Amino acid sequence: MDPERTPSFREQFALLFDAHFPSLYRYLNRASGDPELAADVAQETFVKLYQRGSVPDTPGAWLISVAMNLFRNAASTRSRRLRLMTPARGESVLADPPPAPDQALESDDSRKRVRLALDGMPERDRSLLLLRAEGYSYREIALALELNETSVGVFLARARRAFREIYEESSDAS
Amino acid sequence: MHLDEERLQRLLHRELSAPLEGAAREHVAACDECRRRLEDATREEANVHALLRAVDTPPPVVSAGAVASRAELPSRASRRGSSWLRRAAALVAVVGIAGVAYALPGSPVRRWVHDVVQRVGGRPGVPGEPSTRGGGAANVSGIAVSPGQSLTIIFARDAAQGVGNGGEIRVSLTSGADVQVRAPGGAATFTTKGDFILIGVRDPSAEFDVRIPRSAPWVEIVQGDDRVFLKEGVRITTSGARGLVRGYVLPLAPTTSPPRRPGP
Repeated sequence: MDPERTPSFREQFALLFDAHFPSLYRYLNRASGDPELAADVAQETFVKLYQRGSVPDTPGAWLISVAMNLFRNAASTRSRRLRLMTPARGESVLADPPPAPDQALESDDSRKRVRLALDGMPERDRSLLLLRAEGYSYREIALALELNETSVGVFLARARRAFREIYEESSDAS
Repeated sequence: MHLDEERLQRLLHRELSAPLEGAAREHVAACDECRRRLEDATREEANVHALLRAVDTPPPVVSAGAVASRAELPSRASRRGSSWLRRAAALVAVVGIAGVAYALPGSPVRRWVHDVVQRVGGRPGVPGEPSTRGGGAANVSGIAVSPGQSLTIIFARDAAQGVGNGGEIRVSLTSGADVQVRAPGGAATFTTKGDFILIGVRDPSAEFDVRIPRSAPWVEIVQGDDRVFLKEGVRITTSGARGLVRGYVLPLAPTTSPPRRPGP
């Protein structure tokens, strides 16, 4: 590609997709605990970006805002959703070697506790924690969650502590 | 004076301007308490992020091109809300008009119907009966249509449905150009219009063979309120099981036609 040439929208879209799709999916999957829903919403978000026809000023914030709206709608109508199914994922997913039995038990326990902790957090705190974990800037987080940007750091510190506390409580309980 | 919480977090996350960050680092270098707080926050964040990875699953295998192709399809959401009502109404209207036209003496519709049945089924069909493939030798009825940009295959209960159950829908991907649906002769009626095929199931114990071209961009199979199969680009999503040899196997469970579709 000629470096002087302005990339077409389709090229820009492909670059944005490659840069943001994995982290958007990971965020949605962590937030929902539902890989199918996360995959659907992440793809739908990029469908909307494509249909927009131009790149937003702050693509990261735009994508996460749209994804969060779609996610809320999908979650609220979840009981009415089509019973959608187990997709045939990439074979590489199945090709990972299985963990040793002890490791499997440990990771299963850890997964459950992390899930409990995330589900037990207020939505705003969970979103803050997960967005920061994906490397979103304070500005993007503030835009997506409609927060005052000057307070994002304090909210983040509280969200992290809330997660640790619930996670450790579940450890004490088990 | 110590760093407040906001400034400490911004230092951790490199969210301070260069002059403010320089000043904050100078302070941390000289202040044991703030250095300890920064180290604690750094450690806590690393621990939390490590824990979060426990719930991760690999992202779906999907490309920007596939998503762009999907985005270029006519707005599916706009069609979904009342699509069933519109489709049902259109179907009723088409069937009604066709029936009247067919019944008129000297109507060319009779010849057209016979031509279509012959093309699909390989022999002149009896109006109202499923067409038969292969010149009737195998007593298999079916339909073949181009998948277009999107295609919905609906399995619905036919008014003349008999008793029985245990039928199956076997779905396979092919290198052909058309979507084909086949069933034993007399097991179903087939109707197609626009972007859907309506299969009126008469024999609920029958085995239906659905062949979908790998190149088809978007094909779904619906029974009642449920989408039981979706091919979206290369991605397959289905409630069915993988077949022993190839494809997918879905239990046949048609409901009254036309089924109601939930919103998006």
